[in-house]
Amino acid sequence: MCDWCMKHGAGGKWYMNAKNYSNELAEAMNAQEYLREQWKAFEMVYIRRIMGITSIDLGYKLQLPIIGRILRWSAERMIHSEGKHRNPVRADGHFGQVIPLEEAKVILGNLAAEPIIENYCMCRWMQRGIKEACCINFGLLSGVIEKLPRFIPKDTKYRLDRDEAIARIEEHNKKGYVATVWFQPVPYINAICSCENPECGGLRLRNDFGLHTVYKGEYVAEVDPDRCQACGTCVTKCQFGALRLAHSLKRVIVDINKCFGCGVCRHACKYDAINLVPRENYPALRGVY
Amino acid sequence: MFPKKSPKVTIDYTKCGEKGQMDPRDCAKCLRVCDPAIFILHESPNMPIDPVDPKYWRITPVWLSLCNMCMKCVKVCPLGAITVSR
Repeated sequence: MCDWCMKHGAGGKWYMNAKNYSNELAEAMNAQEYLREQWKAFEMVYIRRIMGITSIDLGYKLQLPIIGRILRWSAERMIHSEGKHRNPVRADGHFGQVIPLEEAKVILGNLAAEPIIENYCMCRWMQRGIKEACCINFGLLSGVIEKLPRFIPKDTKYRLDRDEAIARIEEHNKKGYVATVWFQPVPYINAICSCENPECGGLRLRNDFGLHTVYKGEYVAEVDPDRCQACGTCVTKCQFGALRLAHSLKRVIVDINKCFGCGVCRHACKYDAINLVPRENYPALRGVY
Repeated sequence: MFPKKSPKVTIDYTKCGEKGQMDPRDCAKCLRVCDPAIFILHESPNMPIDPVDPKYWRITPVWLSLCNMCMKCVKVCPLGAITVSR
């Protein structure tokens, strides 16, 4: 269990605590103001100067001696900020975690505050110029995004009821998109995204630069060697390079240090050979997110 | 002691962008051809920003350390606006 579950999980996982979804919490922390400022020019987040520096060529900057360390430390501090004066335009306190489909369905079915909307994905838009409706937002954030026409799908229904939202997340997950749940800002939860690597801004910073914008899920994939028929279909689904078809063993092997526990590989398996097991089952992975 | 310098990717904003011949939102070919996705599409910081529906956009190469210098963006750009160098 990580710090965020300790602080905001009420004895369980942080994203399973109903309090973190409530409008009362959002109002108490003035989230509306924050979200409006954050979303109206979200595409500028890597371009604008933050403490005098932009994210342009961040990979180089992070590797610089001393400066790189200071940069990494302050970036992590910003990402996880719970302070009173968080700056929305640099997305202070905005980070998330990978969740399996089952938990995404529980959140959308019970915990998410209405109204629920599905809007164009911000990350795919800024990284690829593609408008794909696959980000499910809820609570106060819905009202904020509805006022920004570039994110609202035309000609399709974008306000969803709980069953429709569940059907959509199922569809995305089967396509191979990874479900992630987001603090925005911590501890208010208002989004479930369907991410792709490297388009997702969070996964980009995590996988390419090692910043903790996205935490690994509470589970890891496990292959049942008796059931696996070594077809390798699941390997094509893994966005994190955690699966490999070991021809000599005639089965797929999992690199649990790379596995994010999204469970997307399971949809590809015709033999029901992949299961998600709690990360805690592996002593070496305890507390490693 | 110092890390390896990233490749330099530059976009000629007199050709593409808010003052260029093309709205990058309508083209976006470089964004899509790039496997590591090093480009970012964003509203232009040089123009007055419309907070509801920005009209002026440009593309900035951001994740330069991930550029492999494959030159696919240079080839695909219809305006010849991109240069990649060491």
